[in-house]
Amino acid sequence: MSTKPAARTPISKVWEENAVPRHRIQWCPGCGDYAVLNAVKMALTRLELMPHEVLLIGGIGCSGQIRNYLNGNALHGTHGGPLAYAVGVTMANPELRVIALAGDGDTFAIGVENFVHACRRDPNVALIVMDNGVYGLTTGQRSPTGGLGQPQEEFSEESPPAFNPLRLALAAGATFVAQSFSGDPRHSADVYVEAIEHPGFAFVNDFSPCVTYNKFNTYDWFKQHVELVPPDHDPADLQAAFRLLDDFEARGRLPLGVIYRRPRRKKPQQRLPMWDHELADVDLEPMLRTFR
Amino acid sequence: MTNRLKLLVGGVQLRDGVGTVVDVVGRILTRAGLYVLANERNYASTIYGAHQFDPLVISATPPLSHGDNLVDILMALEFDANPDVPRQPNRDTILRHGPHLRDGGVLLYDSSTGEVPVDDLVARGVKVFPLPARQIALRELRREVVKNMVVTGALFRLLEFDMDQAYLRQLLEERFLRKGRELVDLNLEAARRGREVIEQVLAAQGWRDVGYRLEPVPTNGERRLLVSGSEALGMGAIQAGCRFYAGYPITPASPLLAFMERWLPRYQGRSLQGQNERESIRAALGASLAGVRAMVASSGPGISLKVEEFGLAGAGEIPLVVVNAQRAGPSTGMPTKTEQADLRMMIGAGHGDFPRIVLAPSTLEECYTMIQEAFYLADKYQCPVFVLTDLTLAEVRKTVPEAFFLEHRMPPHREGVLTEAELRRDGYRRYAITESGISPRIFPGTRGGIFKVSGTEHDEFGFVTTEPPKRAAMMDKRMRKLETYLQEDARGPQVVGTPRGNPVLVGWGSTKPVLLEARERLRADGLDVAVVHLTHLWPFPTHLVRPVLADAAAIIVCEQNWSGQLADLLQERCLLPTRRILKYNGRVFYVSDIIRGVREILRNGATEFRVSEFVPVTVEAHEGD
Repeated sequence: MSTKPAARTPISKVWEENAVPRHRIQWCPGCGDYAVLNAVKMALTRLELMPHEVLLIGGIGCSGQIRNYLNGNALHGTHGGPLAYAVGVTMANPELRVIALAGDGDTFAIGVENFVHACRRDPNVALIVMDNGVYGLTTGQRSPTGGLGQPQEEFSEESPPAFNPLRLALAAGATFVAQSFSGDPRHSADVYVEAIEHPGFAFVNDFSPCVTYNKFNTYDWFKQHVELVPPDHDPADLQAAFRLLDDFEARGRLPLGVIYRRPRRKKPQQRLPMWDHELADVDLEPMLRTFR
Repeated sequence: MTNRLKLLVGGVQLRDGVGTVVDVVGRILTRAGLYVLANERNYASTIYGAHQFDPLVISATPPLSHGDNLVDILMALEFDANPDVPRQPNRDTILRHGPHLRDGGVLLYDSSTGEVPVDDLVARGVKVFPLPARQIALRELRREVVKNMVVTGALFRLLEFDMDQAYLRQLLEERFLRKGRELVDLNLEAARRGREVIEQVLAAQGWRDVGYRLEPVPTNGERRLLVSGSEALGMGAIQAGCRFYAGYPITPASPLLAFMERWLPRYQGRSLQGQNERESIRAALGASLAGVRAMVASSGPGISLKVEEFGLAGAGEIPLVVVNAQRAGPSTGMPTKTEQADLRMMIGAGHGDFPRIVLAPSTLEECYTMIQEAFYLADKYQCPVFVLTDLTLAEVRKTVPEAFFLEHRMPPHREGVLTEAELRRDGYRRYAITESGISPRIFPGTRGGIFKVSGTEHDEFGFVTTEPPKRAAMMDKRMRKLETYLQEDARGPQVVGTPRGNPVLVGWGSTKPVLLEARERLRADGLDVAVVHLTHLWPFPTHLVRPVLADAAAIIVCEQNWSGQLADLLQERCLLPTRRILKYNGRVFYVSDIIRGVREILRNGATEFRVSEFVPVTVEAHEGD
């Protein structure tokens, strides 16, 4: 795959080169992930990032395929793993823009350990979760966010009510928490731009309906239930963020926009040595001295 | 007897300072030009209170192995004896190791709460030295911790070593002078009091000496170090260019985590204590993908949790070095006891076929050299490289000439990484089909190159595919690496002696020294045996192993597991019948175990010999998990 961007290609097309034409998209017609793909492209274009500067980490499932439909460096690992790989990547090379693109099952079920600790570790990673409440690729089993908006009495031990990722992220110490909706990709793109620019761990929960298996949380259902975060909301205030979630929940609404954001308190890090010349002169003396 | 003995220090874990005494004694003797080999460290997985012991072989020439479980000098650091409770746990050292004390040996014990009846030992000619070390420290010197020095001083008097306290003084000054001269003097005074007590016992008993002496040996300026296996591994990794380490605490891999946390930042590297085993290996894979040489280490149970990522490293062709410091399994097994039962796991763990390389260093020195080789191979073949050690190898402390570490440095040369100029000329396909099976790499951020790395089956560009021809070609390409490895980098077994026509002892991992010493003893007895030791275990170098073993009179595989994992592998790969000597009670092989096994097998044609010495339990000690 020879990549010769910039010279002839307008930047808006850079992110499509070598990706979509070569690779047939496997999402169902109408899948919410198309809008996510477009919004990510819009965001990367607006940020004027070049593909070689970016590492996309895909999750397992339909959503994770998005890494192949974008012209950036990409890793597709094991189920639940994206954020843990991302921690290693950013520790090794903080100059890379790392974007994790995963589903709700990948992030909140098998990957919840990595999610919680990524919130604490605050790696410089933007995580966009395509949240549809089901495992689409394995034909529609319920995911942790499944059951969103359904009455409480319908739940049993084997299928508990929907899990609230925003509350968990806030409680675990995430420095950027936002929500968006595939029905409004322009708004999504705005949120993604902020997330990618946020220095630290930025979590965006994107409602991305599964048109094949989730017959309850449809586009229409979301359109009736989402509501933009009010302009007077102060995202720097953690208590205000929790109050906002309480308020929306009480009204049966789902907030869209940046819910919480605080500056990162971290020392900047250097890229680790990796080239031969950087590793050439290992001075063993300080170590040897301790054994004498 | 001068300049060769086996000393066993025992006591209550975390209370009696077994580790401190052994460290001080080992370090001073190393400086005095003697060789120390501590290969049988035994501790428990409870934090406080269990019995801990640490046998040291001390010799003027490098000892071949730790030998047998016979001990010349027994030091029991427990101080509380209760004559009303004969099964009092705090007399463990005498109760457990007394039977292994050589006739005519020496027992030195802390008699602070009264003397212990040891008539059975006295009857065997053992010279007994009661030493109220804790009492002296507490009542006379007002600092209980200096009881370690009372004991050390007493030991040195027994051995007629460092009578002017020159070595001890220097070590104490290095350690404590910045805290004040008084502390150094206090410790020296403690050591002097220990010596005095020994003098008194000697005089009272009319003994001239105890039959053992140590003398400094001139080293002609050669500098020697006392190093542990984990430290050799860590130092080798840093030398090899490892700049990212991720671990999760587990016995016996934790000392490596501690070493890397201490040293990596000083070499511009980073060490991560993951939140679990999976986060650790995933972060290491991420760092490796970003272009940094990365390593993880764990033990059996932790390795089980990491297995999922092995397949990703194989299919995604991400280099990674994985150290498995084996302990006794299965499940949580015996966390603090040694075993070699993960070979089958390391050559097979993970679903599907993918290339991997399995190395097993057999000595502390090989820990240092082979970890460097592991990084080279991981980079060259872009696959996981497993380094199998075990608890014995992780915990061994040994005197090694400093020059060894300086002479065996492998420059961290990275092959097959494309530059921007090469990319501009040739373009880039991450998984290009090549004859060697190795595709060129780039590091992310390289202008003009984009990679798609995936554990899902993919085409040359890294895009998902299930098309039969592409799948087959990609599988073939990946697995071809193993052919290339077997031709270019595989190493045959280390051979000592003549395997042709003789019985051959075959081993892997930490058992090598014991096999070599068993060979010496058998030869002295008129039985010529050879030792064949395998270090490069997978892909199995059949072409290098079979010719060595094909004409052996008997192939006796000695390993520390129940089933004989290497023996099975040998049979399967070389189509040669094997006999086995197996030990899996958590203890190291002793030379006498091997000799008994060889005699048994050769005498009555037994196919296997299981070492299971039954030792009546004199003390019930409970260990946690």
